[in-house]
Amino acid sequence: MAINILIVDDSSVMRAMILKTMRMSGLPIGETYQAANGQEGLDALEQHWIDLAIVDINMPVMNGEEMIDRMQENPDTKDIPIVVISTEGSETRIERLQGKGASFIQKPFTPEIIRDTIMAITGIGESDE
Amino acid sequence: MNEQVKEILSRVAVETLEQLAFIFSSPEDGPGEIEYDSLMAASVSFAGPFAGGLVMTVSPQVVFELAANMLGVDNEETTLDQQYDALKESMNVICGNLLPAITGKQAVFNIGSPEIITGGEAIKEATEKYNGRSPTSMVRLDIDGEQCVLFLFGDIRITGE
Ligand SMILES: [Mg+2]
Repeated sequence: MAINILIVDDSSVMRAMILKTMRMSGLPIGETYQAANGQEGLDALEQHWIDLAIVDINMPVMNGEEMIDRMQENPDTKDIPIVVISTEGSETRIERLQGKGASFIQKPFTPEIIRDTIMAITGIGESDE
Repeated sequence: MNEQVKEILSRVAVETLEQLAFIFSSPEDGPGEIEYDSLMAASVSFAGPFAGGLVMTVSPQVVFELAANMLGVDNEETTLDQQYDALKESMNVICGNLLPAITGKQAVFNIGSPEIITGGEAIKEATEKYNGRSPTSMVRLDIDGEQCVLFLFGDIRITGE
């Protein structure tokens, strides 16, 4: 089963880097969508079927935390798994995000961390044995 | 204390460039010449337990490599937009890792959107004063003979572990 992924980050280079890393790690990727801020991310969620959202925190217009809050208020999006990939280093904030059900990866990341985190949150690969 | 901040800044910058973009650098001692006219530069501001800014000036060759390595393409294949984007995101990642290394992981900082600085005069000014104050610490990195200099501004207080 291939998963459709939405990548939300204000850096287009970082979005490309995350996508490249996910492809390299052998995850079964279906359609991919990109957004440069939280608002664009919410718009993409309305238009497409998304199985996994990768969300940055520091972004203009709407930051990642607000986007996650809005996703959770909406019955259509509240169950979509979220991985936050951010430079955020404050444990206070990271714990708050984890309290909202998101997994957290700090930049800079390794391909292994991306793969393991996504496998854990989506359950991909569990039934392969 | 300044020495300690300098050490942290140097370590975080070296590690981030390596892990983010496979760029290997080593800290350099001494003042050295900075050729403002031929450099690229970016700045990022932050606010939290203390406020300040981080400015980085860097040889264009390093920025080409930064963008190419992050994107996984050849050096000649990146656009100026991608180079600026790669420089800004690198600043964002360095700053995001630097602050908790200084204050400890409990402190909460808001990091602004990184900005590109263009023009020798503007770059020189940005490296000399931030909100009317001189840099708290400065770190020079050598990257294969190319230059990268970081300037940290603000009322930096070490409280971390
Ligand atoms: Mg960002």
